[in-house]
Amino acid sequence: MRCLYCQQQFLPPIVWRELFSLQVAQQPVLCQACQQQFEPLAPGCPTCGRPQASPSRCQDCQRWQQHYPTQLLHNHASYHYNLAMHDLMVQYKRYGDYQLALVLQTLIAPAFRKLEYDYYVPVPSAPEHLARRQFDTINAIFAGLVPLSPLLEKATGTSPQGEKQRRARLQTPQAFYLRPLVGSLPPGARYLLLDDIYTTGRTLYHARDALQVLDPQAKIESLTICR
Amino acid sequence: MKITKQFAGRQWLVSQEDRNINSALTKIPAILNGRCQRCNSLARGRLPTGTSYCRECLGLGRASSNQYLVRDEQVAHFRHVVGGGLRWQGQLTPPQAQVSQQLQANFKVQRDTLVQAVTGAGKTEMVFGILAAAFEQGKRVAIASPRLDVVNELYLRLQPVFRSIQIGKYHGQMATVVQLDQLVVCTTHQLLKFYHAFDLLIIDEVDAFPYAGNAMLQFAAQQAVKPSGMTTYLTATPPGSLLAQVASGELAVVTLKRRFHGGRLPVPEERLLLRPYIQCGHLHARLLADVLTAQQAGHPLLLFVPRIAEIPIYLAALSQVVELQNYAMAGVFAADPQRLDKITAFRAGKLALLVTTTILERGVTFPHVWVLVVAADDPLYTTASLVQLAGRVGRAADDPTGRVAYYYHRYTQVLRACQATIRGLNQ
Repeated sequence: MRCLYCQQQFLPPIVWRELFSLQVAQQPVLCQACQQQFEPLAPGCPTCGRPQASPSRCQDCQRWQQHYPTQLLHNHASYHYNLAMHDLMVQYKRYGDYQLALVLQTLIAPAFRKLEYDYYVPVPSAPEHLARRQFDTINAIFAGLVPLSPLLEKATGTSPQGEKQRRARLQTPQAFYLRPLVGSLPPGARYLLLDDIYTTGRTLYHARDALQVLDPQAKIESLTICR
Repeated sequence: MKITKQFAGRQWLVSQEDRNINSALTKIPAILNGRCQRCNSLARGRLPTGTSYCRECLGLGRASSNQYLVRDEQVAHFRHVVGGGLRWQGQLTPPQAQVSQQLQANFKVQRDTLVQAVTGAGKTEMVFGILAAAFEQGKRVAIASPRLDVVNELYLRLQPVFRSIQIGKYHGQMATVVQLDQLVVCTTHQLLKFYHAFDLLIIDEVDAFPYAGNAMLQFAAQQAVKPSGMTTYLTATPPGSLLAQVASGELAVVTLKRRFHGGRLPVPEERLLLRPYIQCGHLHARLLADVLTAQQAGHPLLLFVPRIAEIPIYLAALSQVVELQNYAMAGVFAADPQRLDKITAFRAGKLALLVTTTILERGVTFPHVWVLVVAADDPLYTTASLVQLAGRVGRAADDPTGRVAYYYHRYTQVLRACQATIRGLNQ
């Protein structure tokens, strides 16, 4: 087999369960060496998943609490945003290596086993980025895992968060708005926002605010691959 | 409009919407018959829109089938500088001068040449002559190496010698404004950005990863040089493919078996260890004793380990040794964000011990350094890399000897071949 990320030949490990299972075994896309570079998150901040030793809310969430005293956004994150993850994201997002969507999809797939929501809402990319990459980075990862409800859109002319310093990121104005809907969705439904990286939380809080316009009763949480 | 020559000899991607018309530019589809026209790899990637793209040279910008590759085929002309602008106080030894002469003679007839010179023979100084000869005729030259550290060091050594020549340094870890350089010093990956640009292309450390055995980079080197141009390969340990070309007469060869100071190559001491190199966080006594010897003798020490993951383990073990408490140590690996700083500090003597992997195996000179190689029987090491590792030692004229030790559990074919090669060159 050839690893989709490092392109080296590898032998997939033999798993007892698969040997005796009647189901056809899933072919791994990543070799063990690549797989090991990505660190799953240990329990950290109970609200956003930030890696830390103490079980209390992290500094980021405490700051958000000043803005949103009662409505902190609960985020589920699976991986530590380490150097390997950074390199993977650079190759996927900046260079536009679409094939890596499958790698990220395999990495995040286990997270959905425990979660259940009514609507899965991908955080949209800016139209100019879409045009340049010719694919939507978030949709490409999550479309194979859950049915997506693209309820949000992003305005043009926004600069990417990844190129800013922390202060500038936090001062970014709201760029998301609701896509015009035909009909209405049931009130009080459960929504899960999907994104790749949670850094300061600015993007996801904006997306949540935009979505809340649709239904103030909605229960909204978010899921990102890394934190 | 004045036609700019800034991009002469370069190639880059444009999208379909680009309507720029300039008669000096040629435009071809970026992907043709399923192959990337920049790097000649099969375009294996596919976008949801059905467009195919090349995954191999992705880091230089995605080449996809709805794009074009634009080439600026203008010929850059440079001033003819008398003496090629060479300002060098040093003196070549007679054997070095002979190699230098031979290279210049081959340049006159544009014959591709392999320079096989032992580690520490002074390869960089030997190419000064051919560089000056090229600059004297206003020719354009590139020196490329697969190794980033070699590129940095080459640039440092060439810049003071050719002050009147416009030199540009390019590699993937820096952003540079493109200029029309007469001499380009770059990594072999950067050659993908050039098309028929150079009259002379020198590839240093041609047998090093990732160039060796990489069809894409070899294609890049072929494309970057003008059809009438000359390619020169420099190495201490030529790969079989080049030796085959020499045998068939396609490639001329110039050999030099002596170091510039006339000293012999240090022969590695081979040490069979029966216990693990490191056990419960403690170094093997023999290994530790050699580290302490180097410390007492005041020699900086390079400790090579096969894998990046082992660097922190060895560092931790070393830092627990009482005698080494005031000994400045660090580990450096390819993706280390502080890689350059640490190497500079080691060269300046601020660090006494560097635990590293094969990234520093070749092309770098640290005065007075000694070398210890842990697990020299690891399948990761080839004969060439072991010869190169030993070649880091005794490179200075005032200190032509030094110690190299290889630690192993199992005497391998590679170790035997390395020993035979070094002894053979010393005959």
